[in-house]
Amino acid sequence: MIRQQVLLTEQMRTYAGFAGLLIAWELLARFAFGQLYILSPPTAIVMRIIEDLPLYSRALSATVSEALLGFILGNLAAIVLAVLVVTLPPIERLAQAIALVVFCLPLVATGPILRVIYGPGWGPQITLAALSVYYTTFVPLVVGLRAVPPSWLDLIASYGRGRLTAMTVVRARASLPYLIASLKIAAPAAFLGAIVGEFTGADRGIGVLSIQAMRSLDVDGTWALATIASAVAIIGYAVVGWAGQLLSIGAPPSLLVSPASKAPKVLWKKLFMAVAAPTLSCVVILLLWKISMDGLDLSRFFAKRPGDVWAYLVAGSQAAAHRSELFAALRETMGTTVLGYFAGLGLGAVLAAIFCMLPAVEKIASPVAIALRSIPIVATAPLLVLALGRGQLGMLGIVAIMIFFPTLVSCLHGLRQTPGQVIDYFDSFRAPPLTQLFLARVPAMLPSLFAAARMAVPMAVLAATVAEWLATGTGIGNLMALTNSTSNYNMLWSCVTILTLVSVAGYALVAMLERRVLSHFAPEQVI
Amino acid sequence: MKFPPITRRATLGLLAGGAASLVAPARFASAQTSSAVNFQLSWLPSVQFGGSYLAEENGVWAEKGLDVSLLSGGPNAPVEPSVMAGTSLLGITAADYASAAVAEGATFKIIAVAMQKNPFAIASLPGNPVNSPADLVGKKIGMAVANTPILAALCALNDVDINEIEIVPTQYDPAPLVNGQVDCLLCWLTDLPIAMTMAGVDNVTMLLADHGYAVHSQTYIVTEDALENQREEIVALMAGEIAGWNAYFADTDKAADLVVAKFPDLGLDLETQKVQAAKQVDLMVSPLTEEFGFGWFTDETVADNIATLGLLGREVSADLWDRSILEEIYE
Repeated sequence: MIRQQVLLTEQMRTYAGFAGLLIAWELLARFAFGQLYILSPPTAIVMRIIEDLPLYSRALSATVSEALLGFILGNLAAIVLAVLVVTLPPIERLAQAIALVVFCLPLVATGPILRVIYGPGWGPQITLAALSVYYTTFVPLVVGLRAVPPSWLDLIASYGRGRLTAMTVVRARASLPYLIASLKIAAPAAFLGAIVGEFTGADRGIGVLSIQAMRSLDVDGTWALATIASAVAIIGYAVVGWAGQLLSIGAPPSLLVSPASKAPKVLWKKLFMAVAAPTLSCVVILLLWKISMDGLDLSRFFAKRPGDVWAYLVAGSQAAAHRSELFAALRETMGTTVLGYFAGLGLGAVLAAIFCMLPAVEKIASPVAIALRSIPIVATAPLLVLALGRGQLGMLGIVAIMIFFPTLVSCLHGLRQTPGQVIDYFDSFRAPPLTQLFLARVPAMLPSLFAAARMAVPMAVLAATVAEWLATGTGIGNLMALTNSTSNYNMLWSCVTILTLVSVAGYALVAMLERRVLSHFAPEQVI
Repeated sequence: MKFPPITRRATLGLLAGGAASLVAPARFASAQTSSAVNFQLSWLPSVQFGGSYLAEENGVWAEKGLDVSLLSGGPNAPVEPSVMAGTSLLGITAADYASAAVAEGATFKIIAVAMQKNPFAIASLPGNPVNSPADLVGKKIGMAVANTPILAALCALNDVDINEIEIVPTQYDPAPLVNGQVDCLLCWLTDLPIAMTMAGVDNVTMLLADHGYAVHSQTYIVTEDALENQREEIVALMAGEIAGWNAYFADTDKAADLVVAKFPDLGLDLETQKVQAAKQVDLMVSPLTEEFGFGWFTDETVADNIATLGLLGREVSADLWDRSILEEIYE
């Protein structure tokens, strides 16, 4: 009875929090922004959705179908790749490198190329949706497949069973919580990917409608669409979470015993890993680039090969001028991207800690957090720029928001991974919550935080370039947009190459830091 | 911790589901392999392409034995790669884009010109109007950065120092002007200004074409290769297109009705489309087209274009234009 009452008041507090937010929004839109075409009040948004329900539901069914297919394909690819990597560790570096490079390709460049390859239809939408989910599933899943107590693997080995049994019986099940956590992130991401895909030429869908609404100064329509997009993203997130609750009962296993580090001790092996492996990855990727384009017989006019980029940036007579133009733009981009990256990561980790300490806040704030992430970036970019200014601050905000949400989800998951025994131990000493947070939960969160930090590198670069393309008109994103409209595809591909290299370098830097830190806190993740 | 057992049946079910979802997208991809001719439009469907939709609706192409698919464009859907790759036989783009592509190795020919007057305009509010290029000095102009060369050419044509104009990047959106972030917008006459008018915002427009900016817009491009090897199809395609546009000029309201009915999923507003359809005629019909027919161009208009394109930093030869298809049709 008392327990029920507690639950009831908690629920009421959550609802009251929501109501407060909505009322504040309504007042802000009606009075503070009344004369401006920026913010719509919630009542007007609801009216519009009711009015245009048939139109919106047709558009929604198109975009959701595209997103769903992309979600399934992208995640299947991620699962297959992750299982391969864990079963055959020697291919890990290569697979990781290829997966990373594909994820780093800027949407501004890939969209039109996919459209040419597929022709009319849903191809680009589905592919972009798949591309925006596979990597954020792949990385945590590799972590999850390795988050296994070594004694369990020893047990399998002592029964004379091999890697396959270890995979199906131990690793697959241990990775389920990680898979669910990443599928939750994937649901809104797939939706966003499908919307961006619609920008490459489509006749229906939420993306198409939002371009129309923005162009025709239909502010209520823009917000109605953003609301629908957010609602879908939140529902996707919730459905995956609910499916997760149905499937995996109880918490994932806690790891108290650390296995010995398997890092090579011999010098030549170390050297091989440091030099030969990255070189091999580069060669394979360049070959894939060339072979896939030749195989698809893509016109050299827009589908440049590695040799074209080399000539444009290094060997050609104008190469120095091209380089200085590209690198000037790159410097401009990187300044803000790095700041936004750390802001987003910090915000995600701190918010996760707050949510963990105050569950009531989480109930109110997490839908807002998902909404922030899932409102189409074409809609948020101008809004943020309006709020934070058309300069570096606006872009910083966009970068931070793009990476903060995956970090939050990942860190929350990590915080909850803290072994129950450890919490019990702290409880038995009546350790204050902050001590518990810093000494028990934060160390348990570190693997998840680093996984998020690695993934956030390419995401930050993507967000920055998209923001530059759509809103600020600066840096390398603008250079790509500009060259795209002048058919200077040599410059476009050079930008793609350099951006990818930068992302990979940033990723490697974080990974190096991660190995140092985790070899202390979570050695089972270091191979 | 408890897990459901992994049974053979469950595994098979999972695999079957996976296989089904792998097969699914192939269905969408196969649409392109039909023998149809693709025609790549430069933007989302609207009355901007009203003549093409009328041609399709009236069955002009079907009579000529052509199965034409009209491919929509979008903010991230450049036309040139689609035509260059052979995905589309015909594409719509502007002369400046086409010449840029040719400089990068594309082999395009402009075979007809839909918009005799370039649709780019500068829109401003009546309280702070831009009526002539000189008014731009000291103003903040909102525009897609990709369009900077257009503003530069306008300035060069009218002796205005572009450095005295502050360029603010905006995209597909009149809100920055209405909200006072910028003083004017570089946009299409038939696009954002109409949207503002329909939303009850009075505005002033200045057409760049009235101040010396001569760049053919909504031009039809094909590759040299197609012009040689698929000539009959191109002639049939353009003949149908011309018939479609003539039907459009006869009754623009009907074109607006058709577009709104044909694309119910775009949320197009009928009144806006009617206004746009009527306004667009001024850009497409000129004494030249009255005399020779839709799409026509002459050595003089081409020379004007070459001069303006020179200001845009593009060296173009008159070879980019090829009137032989139009001549064959109007013979």
